[in-house]
Amino acid sequence: MSWRSEMGRVYAFAKRNLLMAARNVFFVFELAFWPTVGVLSIGLMTRFLDLGPEMTAFLLVGTMALSTVQVCQLDVSYALLFDVWSKSVKHQFLAPVEIRHMALGSWLVGIGRGLTVFGLQALLSWWAFDFDFFEPGVLALGAFLLGCFLTSAVVGLLVCALVLLFGTRAEVSAWATVNLVMVFCGIYYPVSILPEPVSTLAGAFPLTYVLDAFRSHYGFAPEFSHPLLMGFILSALYIGLAHWALAAAVTRCRRTGLLLKLSE
Amino acid sequence: MKDASPVPAIAMRGLTKRFPARQRDPRAGHAAAAAEVVAVDHLTLDVASGERLGLLGPNGAGKTTTLLMLSTLLAPSDGTALVEGFDVRRDPQAVRRRIGALLAGDRAVYRRLTGRENLLYFADLYGLPRAEAAARAAALLDLVGLGERADDLVSRYSSGMRLRLALARTVLHNPSVLLLDEPTLGLDPDISVRMRAQIAGLRRERGTTILLTTHYMREAEELCDEIAFIKNGEIPARGTADALKRQIRIGDVIALRLDPASGDGLAELPGVLRCVFQDGRVECTVDSAEKRLAQILSWLHEQGVVVRDVDVHEPDLEEVFVELAK
Ligand SMILES: Nc1ncnc2c1ncn2[C@@H]1O[C@H](COP(=O)(O)OP(=O)(O)O)[C@@H](O)[C@H]1O
Ligand SMILES: [Mg+2]
Repeated sequence: MSWRSEMGRVYAFAKRNLLMAARNVFFVFELAFWPTVGVLSIGLMTRFLDLGPEMTAFLLVGTMALSTVQVCQLDVSYALLFDVWSKSVKHQFLAPVEIRHMALGSWLVGIGRGLTVFGLQALLSWWAFDFDFFEPGVLALGAFLLGCFLTSAVVGLLVCALVLLFGTRAEVSAWATVNLVMVFCGIYYPVSILPEPVSTLAGAFPLTYVLDAFRSHYGFAPEFSHPLLMGFILSALYIGLAHWALAAAVTRCRRTGLLLKLSE
Repeated sequence: MKDASPVPAIAMRGLTKRFPARQRDPRAGHAAAAAEVVAVDHLTLDVASGERLGLLGPNGAGKTTTLLMLSTLLAPSDGTALVEGFDVRRDPQAVRRRIGALLAGDRAVYRRLTGRENLLYFADLYGLPRAEAAARAAALLDLVGLGERADDLVSRYSSGMRLRLALARTVLHNPSVLLLDEPTLGLDPDISVRMRAQIAGLRRERGTTILLTTHYMREAEELCDEIAFIKNGEIPARGTADALKRQIRIGDVIALRLDPASGDGLAELPGVLRCVFQDGRVECTVDSAEKRLAQILSWLHEQGVVVRDVDVHEPDLEEVFVELAK
């Protein structure tokens, strides 16, 4: 198993995701329409509520994190959903590929699309609301985006696992799961205002820490110590768990035959 | 090379698949106590390297389930299956690299990709070097008659074209073992003929081991060296088409056109198993046409019956199959 053939497999999934995405009009919405609507409506709301630059920054950071996580997460979910929709799930599992190839390839495309969405939103918020996303510096921004993409990987892997456990009924989780993120990770508010025990629960989500770290550059005192470190450690832990869950779901599918039902 | 290798290409030992009774099926209601389905029941079967074996059996016999277990898409409940010595359970990736599987209803390739893109994608999944993949994809597309349409989206293909693309995908990575589940099921007759020719051609080229399921006798006779009947997940008979016909001993058929058109008394002659009267002909099934033909003709002559036409033929596999499926 050479490095070349490893990368070849990752590349295969990446290229497939790209080609499929490029040929679907719906994806224009994912890349341009929803992100634009999102950042403009939240931005305009900050104007209406007459919020100062700090509060505006708080909300825009949240909005952009949510959009970025969502679009990248969709790609990871599509790794399986494309096959479910084209009724060809079994071909993936006939080929000598592992979950890591599928996940990594689609995640890379997700990062590309996530950066596109982020860039578009950053441009819009700078142009319309005078908000400078690059103020915290390249390193902080890079860490923030990486944190978002790691959360996407976790969510995407879990969506795949759910689809393999519950069939197409679970498809909707690809769009619904991100709402959990919205509630628990403090997209539009600091998690400290959440009632107990939800507030404590928020501490279990890596994105909570990533947002906390990035917002500290806009004058918000961090709620956690070493938020970035915590965010990355939790992300790594959850990616491991989600990978394990997906592998277990695949094994179960091979036993029950759901893999084939999904191909009918 | 087709040298008989000591390791069979496929070895199944007591291979079993049980599906749990579906509890959540509303139609089953409280009768969900219905026993689990045993789709394949302790199947033991070898396919030698380079051999073409046809797995023939009625619907629900367990053919598809057997191929699914061999292709690692279904985990066996019991028993073992080895493909070129690799266990489908313990070493699934090694098995996957060696097999090409065309499974029933397998018309699904990505519609939003072109034929060529589909093949290149799968070539990457199997780790074929880029340059080799492109050349192989082009050659295969020509071989299955899709050369001209290689760069059209699959959504514009007919179902026959999609199946031929699926066949190309199946052999793309040079598998040494082909698993084909009803490869011509539901195809128009002319496309079926082309499909069979393509499968036969692929095999001639490289001596691939083929395990093929079908319920078309002609397909099995045309594409396979040997035939194994499968029924309730077991193999009641196996051999070449000829050997099976002999083994089942359903005899030869002597068809006679008589004047007057009555065969009364024929069935009582020695060696005659049964006689049926149809389309103005008497069809007598005898243990051996060689031995009985002269005897029957002379008896008819004695009776003053004129024989207008005689036709002797072996039973076709269809009849063997009907006999076995009883
Ligand atoms: N996923 C499944 N769940 C429950 N029963 C199944 C499943 N797949 C196949 N069976 C049952 O197993 C038996 C064998 O099926 P199959 O292998 O498809 O037969 P064949 O291909 O010879 O027609 C049938 O009785 C079928 O109903
Ligand atoms: Mg079948």
